[in-house]
Amino acid sequence: MTNFPWLTTIILLPIVASLLIPIIPDKDGKTVRWYALIVGLIDFVLIVYAFYSGYDLGNPELQLVESYAWIPDLDLKWSVGADGLSMPLIILTGFITTLAIMAAWPVTLKPKLFYFLMLAMYGGQIAVFAVQDMLLFFLVWELELVPVYLILSIWGGKKRLYAATKFILYTAGGSLFILVAALTMAFYGDTVTFDMSAIAAKDYAFNLQLLLYAGLLIAYGVKLPIFPLHTWLPDAHGEATAPAHMLLAGILLKMGGYALIRMNLGMLPDAHVFFAPILVILGVVNIVYAALTSFAQRNLKRKIAYSSISHMGFVLIGLGSFTNLGLSGALLQMISHGLIGASLFFMVGATYDRTHTLMLDEMGGVGKQMKKIFAMWTSCSLASLALPGMSGFVAELMVFVGFATSDAFNPIFKVVVVLLAAVGVILTPIYLLSMLREIFYGQENKELVEHEVLVDAEPREVFIIASLLVPIIGIGLYPKVATQIYDATVTQLTSMIRSHVPALTATSQAPEVENVAFLKAPDLYE
Amino acid sequence: MTNFLVETSWFIPIYGLIGAVLTLPWSMGIVRRTGPRPAAYFNLLMSLAAFLHGSIAFQSIWGKPAQQLTLNWLQVADLKLTLAVEISPVSLGALEVVTVISLLTQIYALGYMEKDWSLARFYGLMGFFEAALGGITISDSLLLSYGLLEGLTLSTYLLVGFWYAQPLVVTAARDAFLTKRVGDIMLLMGVVALSSYGEGLDFSDLESWAETAPVAPLTATLLGLALIAGPTGKCAQFPLNLWLDEAMEGPNPAGIMRNSIVVSAGAYVLVKLQPVFTLSPIASDALIVIGTVTAIGASWMAIAQIDIKRTLSHSTSVYLGLVFIAVGLGQVDIAFILLCTHAIAKALLFMSIGSIILNTSNQNITEMGGLWAKMPATTSAFVVGSAGLIGLLPLGMFWTLQRWLNGSWHIPWWLMLILLFVNLLSAINLTRVFRLVFLGSTQPKTRRAPEAPWAMAFPMVTLTVLTLLAPIVPIRWPFWLSLAAPLSEPDSAWLPFAIPLMMASGLLGCVIGFTLPLNRSWARSSRVYIRFFQDLFAYDFYIAKIYDLTVVWAVSSLSHLTAWIDRYIVDGAVNLVGFATFFSGNTLKYNISGQSQFYVLTILLGVAVLLWLTFSGQWSFILNYWSSVLSQVSNLA
Repeated sequence: MTNFPWLTTIILLPIVASLLIPIIPDKDGKTVRWYALIVGLIDFVLIVYAFYSGYDLGNPELQLVESYAWIPDLDLKWSVGADGLSMPLIILTGFITTLAIMAAWPVTLKPKLFYFLMLAMYGGQIAVFAVQDMLLFFLVWELELVPVYLILSIWGGKKRLYAATKFILYTAGGSLFILVAALTMAFYGDTVTFDMSAIAAKDYAFNLQLLLYAGLLIAYGVKLPIFPLHTWLPDAHGEATAPAHMLLAGILLKMGGYALIRMNLGMLPDAHVFFAPILVILGVVNIVYAALTSFAQRNLKRKIAYSSISHMGFVLIGLGSFTNLGLSGALLQMISHGLIGASLFFMVGATYDRTHTLMLDEMGGVGKQMKKIFAMWTSCSLASLALPGMSGFVAELMVFVGFATSDAFNPIFKVVVVLLAAVGVILTPIYLLSMLREIFYGQENKELVEHEVLVDAEPREVFIIASLLVPIIGIGLYPKVATQIYDATVTQLTSMIRSHVPALTATSQAPEVENVAFLKAPDLYE
Repeated sequence: MTNFLVETSWFIPIYGLIGAVLTLPWSMGIVRRTGPRPAAYFNLLMSLAAFLHGSIAFQSIWGKPAQQLTLNWLQVADLKLTLAVEISPVSLGALEVVTVISLLTQIYALGYMEKDWSLARFYGLMGFFEAALGGITISDSLLLSYGLLEGLTLSTYLLVGFWYAQPLVVTAARDAFLTKRVGDIMLLMGVVALSSYGEGLDFSDLESWAETAPVAPLTATLLGLALIAGPTGKCAQFPLNLWLDEAMEGPNPAGIMRNSIVVSAGAYVLVKLQPVFTLSPIASDALIVIGTVTAIGASWMAIAQIDIKRTLSHSTSVYLGLVFIAVGLGQVDIAFILLCTHAIAKALLFMSIGSIILNTSNQNITEMGGLWAKMPATTSAFVVGSAGLIGLLPLGMFWTLQRWLNGSWHIPWWLMLILLFVNLLSAINLTRVFRLVFLGSTQPKTRRAPEAPWAMAFPMVTLTVLTLLAPIVPIRWPFWLSLAAPLSEPDSAWLPFAIPLMMASGLLGCVIGFTLPLNRSWARSSRVYIRFFQDLFAYDFYIAKIYDLTVVWAVSSLSHLTAWIDRYIVDGAVNLVGFATFFSGNTLKYNISGQSQFYVLTILLGVAVLLWLTFSGQWSFILNYWSSVLSQVSNLA
């Protein structure tokens, strides 16, 4: 079974399955959602099985590799593979998308089209993380935008067309840079190749690296997002439906971070040395600026959207840290925010289904009638504000310690960055708890209670949140569960980058492999 | 068997967690038929198990060396974060205090919370509370302690917000969380800074690390201050003291825990961090200053309150201030004993006032009176608790002070003055409350007040007996922790008179308290200058107002500013580009008029420009420019 084309199967299964949707006999949209859910589950099981059987945790290289010539004239190859950077995000994608399909249960408008798009996105997103060919990467990156655009513009809120157009303009504008950079890198030097590993192996001139890096930074900065390229996000998130939200926050933002690591760090290390302080500063700006802006938002969705931007700042700091720990923290923050962001946006959707308003001023005191919703909101907010024992805390701690121990920056810069980022960590509970207070605590809002039926959470909703909280708390209590997937790759990547920093003696950062002794009883008596 | 129990004593905090998990079926409404009582019983059973297990382990570990247990938590590259647990006589002794008070409080809550609709949720939170507290007592790693302190912050938030539909609870819960979080995050920064020295972050290693630490004075000071911030929030010390007062909106059994052992948990961590503070005199001085300001300020605040819970909660800050001073002076033994004595006496006081609040449905002491004959157990609990807190009768605090002032420790003169002052004001305040609540004639609200039900009376009486026995504890289980050996002889001439002076101050306080004119209907004085001070103290020196006008205002206006910038400048720039595109497109479309003359004119003009460029030599200029650009790009490549 080792030669079975796992990744191709995983990518193509939902796409092929989505093509069958038009011929499924279904009048009221009830069959098709079960169909989509089952396809999603099967694909997720395949992902887990492929990970379990074909992925070696100790190997930093690409695994599960497949490569077939597609259009030989263009040197376009269908080549996929997964290393430590891709694998956790592929698993995350399968997990979140399946849950998003479940979250889309109440969709009644054009259900066939909706589930078709969801399944198409499923495959497209995994393809983004799995493909190892630059041209193919550009293609799938663009292709996955189409379903998002359609989902935004058909099922969104009142200003959905504005938001969807803004989204597509920003991301498509950004991806122009990817194309230019990809072509430049492919044609540079003696050989013409689109293979990512071959492109990474080329040695580019420093000035060209800077240009390429800046271009890619803009492209992925839109996606992550990085200040000041972030303004599409509150609009898009403000108008999207809950399942689209979960995908936007849970997976699409991670594509930016993933591509930054894969290309900017992995292919252009010399330019990264130059750009790293800028990344760190942008990260701090993201954290503090977005947290402050979030506090002033009166619209629930926009508030959570800004909170996403704020959390992505930690990814940037981690990327710029030149330490193993910082980079691991950045990756963990992406995974962790994928789970937490998805859960928060799902809760926003669930609340909107009941109150039919997103304005905080029109809510208040609904905790009395919706106890389960209240409890779930509280848990998700606590996860988001980095409570120890939940994944967000571990990720942020790793970024903090990683950056503080970094030998690439001078102490004053480090202290300032860490302190400002800490201000962001204090601001997070300020806006999240104020939000909880305005929604749930205190006197009931008469207007709301009289006009809306505030039913408590149904089992489906409890199930979705519970399945998101299990990995959040699991990673929080024992982070090794997640970090061991990518440790080897990150170690290799960090030592590669560090070898490009002139000031750093290329100290090997190989981890000591130690047996983890499980807690043993103390030996008190001889 | 005992051997096995000692070996597994790290498991004791987990009992509480199991209890908390067991309440879930009831609090989530899966089991409805039985009512929420079974959830409470499960928790009681678990607490009892923790207590018994802890007691046996404590008995058998006494006199034996400490043992460490380590769990590798996170290993990335050269960083190894471990979670360590220390099983020693001291940690198990502290655990014993936690389990006893927690068990008694949970029995007490059975009576106090009897009619509450979400008893199961309450017990779940209490179980979690107990687990986090127990964990802190045996934790040997700063990281684990930090995590557990945050756990306490969380459970305080949830317990204060327990009655979330009440208007005052709304802000109290949030403030409690935020204030503590500010301290916690600074503590986290300290942890991050310590770990950047490649430190293992174990308390037991800190001491040896502090001796050989290659730390610059400035760094040591910043580090010390960051580490102080966490306990400052947790122990309700100035300037992070306001949450404890507000947190009194929560249910009283949680208040018992909070005022006795939760605040102590913060100080316990502080005591363990003490070696770091020796690195920097500024950090030690900061501890002393914080403790002094809080002890004096909160003493005044307590005396002006008319809410029975709030006046006692301010007094908690006072005693924790003394603990801060003791740690700042490096006298950690005294800090430990102070914590223990205060925890027991304060728990008893809160049990007593809980039964008053439940039976009179009232927290305003000016509306009470004459309760002593109706509630004998409650009255005796209050008296014993107060006596345990004041250095007058030979109970807990008296012996603690005696130990502090017996000449083994260096006592600066100002410390003596602070102690006298605190003792005096505590005595005045407790006597004042006692008079208003228990003596005098009955008021409308206290006329029909029966004694508390057995579920509350039993733990109250038990704790009364324990408070009376508390002085024996340090004699039965003496321990020395300090780095410095005790002084062999007193270093001040006045020290022999210290204890008599202390007793005199206590007595004086009681006398003043008894003779002070207390007008129930005119609690707020009509004389302007008295009223000024009364208001100043009663409103906590207007600290909340000051925060509102400074920090809160700054954050909220800054956030509105960034929101404005985001909307109109960052997003505005983008929309302007979009608008310009649309506008120029719209303008250009008027060129397409469909008249052939217009097109001919355009073509002619274009050709003319081209010709002019070619013939006048402009063309070469443009060509040169572009070729130079291209060559630059190819150079780059």
